[in-house]
Amino acid sequence: MVTMVVNGDRREIQAPTDTPLLYVLRNDLQLSGPQFGCGLSQCGACSVLLDGKEIRSCTTPLSAAVGKEVTTLEGLPARWAKQKSLSQGDAEQTLHPVQQAWIEEQTPLCGFCQNGMMIKATELLERVATPTVAEIKEAFTTSGPSAHLCRCGSYTAIIEAVQRAAEIAAKGGK
Amino acid sequence: MATPNETSINVFGAALTRRNFVKAGGALFVGFGMVGADSLKNAAQAATTKNSLDATLPESWIEIHPDNTILIRTGKSDFGQSTTFTAYRQIVAEELNAPFEAITTVVMGDTDRTPDGSGAFDFLGSGTPNIRKAAAYTYQALLDLASQQLGVPRAELSVKDGVVSGGGKSMSYGDLVKGQQLKLTIPVKGDLTSIMGLAVDGNPPMKPVSQYTVVGKSYRNSVTASKVAAKETWATDVRLPDMLHARMVHPKSLGSTLVSAGALDKTKFPNAQVVVKGNLVGVVAPTEWEAIRAAQQVAAATKWKDWKGLPGHTRLFDYLKRDADWKTTRVTKSDKSKGDVAPAMAAAAKKLSATYQLPYMKHSPMGPTMAVADVRKDGTVYVYTHNQNPQALRGELAQMLSTTPDNIVVRTFAGPGHYGRSNGGNAGAEDEAVILSKAVGRPVRVQWMRPEDFKWSTQSPAAMSDVEIGLDANGKMVAYQVDHYMPAMQDDRPIGAVLAGLPTMPAPNEKAVFIGSTVNDPQDPWIYDGVVTLLEQGHGTFQVGQKASPLTVGLRDHSMRTPGQFQQNFPRELAVSEAAALAGVDAIQFRLDHTKEERVIGVLKAVREASGWETRPSPRSKAAASGTTPVRGQGVSVMFRSATYWACVSQISVTPSTGAIVVEKMTIAVDPGIVVNPMQLKRQVEGGTMMGISHALLEELQFDESGITTRDWRTYPILKMADIPEVKVVLLNRPDVGTYGGGSEAANALAAPAIAAALFDATGKIARRLPLKPAYVQALLKV
Repeated sequence: MVTMVVNGDRREIQAPTDTPLLYVLRNDLQLSGPQFGCGLSQCGACSVLLDGKEIRSCTTPLSAAVGKEVTTLEGLPARWAKQKSLSQGDAEQTLHPVQQAWIEEQTPLCGFCQNGMMIKATELLERVATPTVAEIKEAFTTSGPSAHLCRCGSYTAIIEAVQRAAEIAAKGGK
Repeated sequence: MATPNETSINVFGAALTRRNFVKAGGALFVGFGMVGADSLKNAAQAATTKNSLDATLPESWIEIHPDNTILIRTGKSDFGQSTTFTAYRQIVAEELNAPFEAITTVVMGDTDRTPDGSGAFDFLGSGTPNIRKAAAYTYQALLDLASQQLGVPRAELSVKDGVVSGGGKSMSYGDLVKGQQLKLTIPVKGDLTSIMGLAVDGNPPMKPVSQYTVVGKSYRNSVTASKVAAKETWATDVRLPDMLHARMVHPKSLGSTLVSAGALDKTKFPNAQVVVKGNLVGVVAPTEWEAIRAAQQVAAATKWKDWKGLPGHTRLFDYLKRDADWKTTRVTKSDKSKGDVAPAMAAAAKKLSATYQLPYMKHSPMGPTMAVADVRKDGTVYVYTHNQNPQALRGELAQMLSTTPDNIVVRTFAGPGHYGRSNGGNAGAEDEAVILSKAVGRPVRVQWMRPEDFKWSTQSPAAMSDVEIGLDANGKMVAYQVDHYMPAMQDDRPIGAVLAGLPTMPAPNEKAVFIGSTVNDPQDPWIYDGVVTLLEQGHGTFQVGQKASPLTVGLRDHSMRTPGQFQQNFPRELAVSEAAALAGVDAIQFRLDHTKEERVIGVLKAVREASGWETRPSPRSKAAASGTTPVRGQGVSVMFRSATYWACVSQISVTPSTGAIVVEKMTIAVDPGIVVNPMQLKRQVEGGTMMGISHALLEELQFDESGITTRDWRTYPILKMADIPEVKVVLLNRPDVGTYGGGSEAANALAAPAIAAALFDATGKIARRLPLKPAYVQALLKV
């Protein structure tokens, strides 16, 4: 049995430690944000934050996450609430600025890849508060193990949503 | 229960029957139920009464609840188009004169919970979707009810926001249906489990477009918030009690039969189990990771016969030209073909004669195909999936199991977009999940891995077209002939059933009608009515490798976004741009000179204005086919599809020395008639445009003599964010047209001919084959 912190909670896991983190999150912890897209670190659908850095959970073994902090799409609101020291009441009502922006801009088409897109956007905005279009393109194309792919072609909507998220964050998340 | 005291009235061909009042505190909601009226059930073939709603009942489509909330149902599965969650709600709200927000629930794509069938295409039904007519019938029935209950003649009633008023009195819809048992039977036609499903018949009065208040506004997609907050249940999330995970061990090649399945290493995988049926091999285990690793071990030990029977992608067009059988299948001719082309061509002052080629492409959904099946001891089968056509799949699964469709229930969940039919008639693994579940007596979840999704799903068929255009001395097109060649596209056989040797529809053949047919119909509606003589012909053949493969599969094809029309529009639009150059006329002006269709002219003028198009002939005066300095070009394309007119301008730069194309700007003008939801339509068009650039520049299936060698996103690259252009979408709202056109297709097909024309404009060289990869363009420019 190993332990890791997932979305703020300490979790004990029984699975073999060579199990890719994705299957642990989806099957053992019932977290459905990260999706199985390729199992090859080539698309980004399975992305999660590991100690704040975007990784591909489909090729990251459970052993690599032991003792570390994992944030999935489900954990973004709490992550934001903690960063902003929101009251519990406010925290329960507040989505992460990235999630708010994704709704306001009506970014997803099918939405299957958007977990990874939102995780990447969160990582980017924690690093660069108001990224330029070039910085956004760089983040989603060359910064990680692979480009984040969207077959529906929502890239324009993603760029607009990242910029909107930056505005929302700058206003304190509202 | 008291015997109902029924009174029946005719509502524009539907029958409304009012029964006795339900006792106080009765059902929570009472919608409209069915009574007799058998005459209205005309030719509709519901596959079954068990596990199906009755499509003749409005309550199967729309429920009006006493609390004034409304539920709608549709058999169509939203695949990312957003239509069922936005446009459908708007259209129903409009016809009912109810607020958009009153429609709180959308049920879609569950074979036991939705009334009609058909697939994730043509959502707006070329202007009148089923749900609109169902709503229109319901509205008329509500008026009759209100008239009775308020004691006011229909003509004196008015309705606003779901409240009927007249004679100084008013009642909400919720109050109208409260405590009553009402039956309205509407006419439907068609066959539930066919590709097209059932259609609501008749002509109920529709709300005049001039009175629209809900259609035309940018309402948000109601499912977006739950997807973004990780609260949506995706098909990938479905877990049943006692469920096993499975991975498949697919054949070594597209023609390999099984010699022997590998033995499972029980010391390493004590809980796994191998299932073999014919040439189908699967491995199940309680955990997903054990299933994956056990399947890998079994795959390595499994022996298949070797097979070679494909030309390989480098020889594909030689094969199609010289070796494919184009004779068995009848040649088709478009309805718009007219006049005698041969003499007009012979007399032409100038002539263009060219061949255009499109490769096989993959739908490549972001998530590989998967499904959960539960074959129960009593013979009923539940399938949980993300499905393009649940009712058609239901019929196919029933055929596979030699049972009737009423024993099959297909439930649809959110999933990755498939952009057509990426694996037979279904999303993919449903048939395999059913076979394995039946074998092991437990629910089974089959998940394909990325490489097998590329290797074993269906593809968009390759195609080639021979075009001849004759111009008169004034540079007008006087003769146009095209011969389109494409292997069979609509292979609806579930691959697991084929491998297991279970019953399916036949392999594509020349006698089948539509699905499974090798006939290649002209699919790109002609819009240049100024051309005097026209001959458009379609030539079809079997799927490549199909006849040679012992598995009868070969390169399986199925419809992909703008199916067939993409393959025919690329040659037409690029050839017309070439003809314009031959005539020395600007490519947009040349098109305007050859059409009288007002809406074609409208999109062309709109795209010309919005794009910053330079009116002049191609190639541009500074065109260059050599050097390291990028040269710029512009190109245009036009299409009519799903009751919508489209025009696209692409502005690119290309570096001759490398052949690398950068698409700088795409401008798309769209005239769908009535724009239902501008925001959602714009997002659809943007997305389709990105996919179109990807098709044009990057995408080509690779295969050798045995099978598909494309295996992942490295061997099948698609467009990345860094390579997107500026995109400008111009929506032309035309309420006067009176119908809604579709917006989810076409955009992905417009880019290729526009980009190829822009490459010609920039360099003076014509690339007539896709994709426009740097090596191909570089070689072309050197010639």
